[in-house]
Amino acid sequence: MAKTVVKGVLAAAAAMLAGTGANAQADASFFNGKTVTYIVATAPGGGYDTYGRLVAEYMQKYLPGSTFVVRNMPGAGHLIGTNALYASKPDGLTLGTFNTGLVYTQLAKHEGVRFDLTKMSWIGKAATDPRAVVVASQSPIKSWSEVTTSKEPLNFATSGPGGANFVEVLAMTSILKLPIRMLSGYNGTDDQLAMRRGEIVGTIGSRSSFDQFVANGYGRFLGQFGGSEKDIPQMADLVKGNPEAERLVRLITAQGDIARLTAAPPGVPAAQLGALRAAYRAAMEDRELQARAIKLEKPVEPLYGEDVARAIEQALNQSPEVVQLLVEGFSKGRGR
Amino acid sequence: MGACRLMIDVMFGSLVGLLTNPQTMGLMLIAVMIGLIVGATPGIGGRLSIALAIPFVFGMDMTQGAVFLLTMHAVNGTSGQISSIMFGVPGDGDDAATTIDGYPMAKKGEAGRALGASITASGFGGIVGAIVFAVMIPVLEPVVLSFSPAEFFLLAVLGITFIAFLAGKGQIFKGIIVGLFGMMLSTVGMDPQTGTARYSGDYLFLWDGLSTITAVLAVFAIPEMIALAARGGSIASTGGEIVKVSYRQLFAGVLEVPRHWFLAVRTSIIGAIIGMVPGLGGSAAAWLCYGHAVQTSKTPERFGHGAVEGVIAPETASNAKEGGSLLPTLFFGIPGSSGMAVMMGAFLILGIQPGPAMMTQNIDLVWTLIWALVVGNLIAISFLLFITRWVALLTFVNAAMLVPFILVLVMVGVYSAEGQWENLIILLLIAAIGWGLQRYDWPRAPFVIGLVLGKIAEESLHKALGLWGIGFFTRPLSLVLIGLIAATIAYAIYSNVKGKNVMPAGAGS
Repeated sequence: MAKTVVKGVLAAAAAMLAGTGANAQADASFFNGKTVTYIVATAPGGGYDTYGRLVAEYMQKYLPGSTFVVRNMPGAGHLIGTNALYASKPDGLTLGTFNTGLVYTQLAKHEGVRFDLTKMSWIGKAATDPRAVVVASQSPIKSWSEVTTSKEPLNFATSGPGGANFVEVLAMTSILKLPIRMLSGYNGTDDQLAMRRGEIVGTIGSRSSFDQFVANGYGRFLGQFGGSEKDIPQMADLVKGNPEAERLVRLITAQGDIARLTAAPPGVPAAQLGALRAAYRAAMEDRELQARAIKLEKPVEPLYGEDVARAIEQALNQSPEVVQLLVEGFSKGRGR
Repeated sequence: MGACRLMIDVMFGSLVGLLTNPQTMGLMLIAVMIGLIVGATPGIGGRLSIALAIPFVFGMDMTQGAVFLLTMHAVNGTSGQISSIMFGVPGDGDDAATTIDGYPMAKKGEAGRALGASITASGFGGIVGAIVFAVMIPVLEPVVLSFSPAEFFLLAVLGITFIAFLAGKGQIFKGIIVGLFGMMLSTVGMDPQTGTARYSGDYLFLWDGLSTITAVLAVFAIPEMIALAARGGSIASTGGEIVKVSYRQLFAGVLEVPRHWFLAVRTSIIGAIIGMVPGLGGSAAAWLCYGHAVQTSKTPERFGHGAVEGVIAPETASNAKEGGSLLPTLFFGIPGSSGMAVMMGAFLILGIQPGPAMMTQNIDLVWTLIWALVVGNLIAISFLLFITRWVALLTFVNAAMLVPFILVLVMVGVYSAEGQWENLIILLLIAAIGWGLQRYDWPRAPFVIGLVLGKIAEESLHKALGLWGIGFFTRPLSLVLIGLIAATIAYAIYSNVKGKNVMPAGAGS
């Protein structure tokens, strides 16, 4: 037992140093002839599914003899799939991916949460997908300062209580006392169409899902939470001087920084976890995978194992004020 | 004039390009086959098949990849009707409308005629959908943008008022009760406004609402199978003798479409326009058109007992909507359905950038896709018409052999649709209700209408009230819809009071 632990630690260390597929194979023998289930906590199609299938395909390549099976477990805003992943046997044969927005859900101590993200066995994250504030181009609002000073109430679209953008818009609105009127029930691309119709001024969403919308001339970005792009003002600069708002912006930034996660349930033996992390790293460095991700307009910006665990822990470490706001974000409207 | 000439050049140039490229045509054939097989299997939607096909289009040529995926998606609805008609087992929410009249036809030994009509109607709808696509390109923007949550709400209400006609004569109150029950079940799940879980207990799988396919199979398929098993014999109760499913019977079905051409054209156009407007969904198209067929029929009492129009209307609509939903996907970059959302992801992989620039930079690709819809539908209907003769024989198989097989098919469908075993229990619970309705001769269609449209009505009403307050319905298009709703209700009351032999004003089919 102790021997395998040492072996695993060595494997993980070796993988981290070398970071190539060749080293991973040395300790990947456990997976030879085994079937690995990769849970995608949402329906087929869309970003999570695409990334999940890509990761599964290339991890299989670097764990010789293994067979990866992708299983979609949609429902309850990724909660069903994530609960199932968390409760699965920690033998290294079940992994999965889910929405980083569950950080909010856990912070709000939501009733459907049956997991603790800090305890998960983190394998890695594949992308950076910063959140951004976007408004319709036909609205008179041209900059963030015009949002804060608008005399008229501005209609912002959100998916509904518990949805990431509902939590974000609500928290920003109440901390910065913005003249924003929140409307719920805008799922998928409903918000884009509503902005085109003119009934909605703007929303907060992931930049990647609005890039095309903005490129087509239908909208404009006012600010971005983190990310490496330089063409949009950073929200951190726009709220400077308001410590509470700065903290909130940091939380929303973490959302985008650790996107497209891969994790296993708590307590995966070190040997298997090491081999999985090494295979994940080798997959992310695979040129074929990178080329395919770029074609999807979803470039790979990976982070591995412990680094992801640290980032998640940081994001979950929030002041009571922010936690209170999130709790409201999940229960707003109840008993109204 | 010159521009027009150029347009025609591009239009037919694309068709010639499509038909003369053996590789593209080969891919289309494969796509049609895959699409038909996936469509015939309950529970597996077109969305899944596109998601699974995406790895195969990596590295394909832009046009070929797009044609492949689009054809596969477009013919998906064409084969779902086979099990709806023959066994009363709908493949999804849209097909449920076809079951109502298709299955009674099979029971009368007319499976061949029903299939001939429905397959032809599907193809016809698909082709009209492509034509509507082409015609609508210039006016896409004003049409799509004039449908706001207020209109969605009113369209859903209009669909719900059709219940009055679907229930059959003298059953209007039973119909309303069943419809309200469906609407009640549509509120199961997370309240979109307050985030409160309704009627869900501790069960997370209920948070997204009741699974439509589970409810539809429970209400239609299971009761029919129980009845069949209890009765014995075969689905087609023609006194034990096997009616030869001849090409003549099939051809008679094919001819039903030209006989009801005006209805087919109307329902195709309605379907295409509903497909064009993101947010209403395919089931709404099929049910609205079924309701329209009943409402405008001179003999509405035939519906539910094997009226061929009841097969034609939903099938034209559900295939026509594919052409429609491609429009906002290609020209706005805003997908018109969940299937189209996956399709858009695939387009990006192929290097197609959906957006208004498609009109100027990629118009030849757009025309190729329109033609692919037409040609793909033609391939699909010829293939299906060819094999149907043998498939229809299954309705003469003895119940003892058929029923267990179909029950397994139903359960696999329910499980694979969402991957949740709990839905099997829901299937049993609702099937008990469905069986009661069937046994005591209560109408079942209003249940599905309430379930499908109730959700849309609730969500849109909330949005509209939030945006415009109580005066939300004063927009011009809203007023037109309100007029239609009022006329529908008035006519329903009038014909109920006056007796059933009243001719609908200005109707014909």
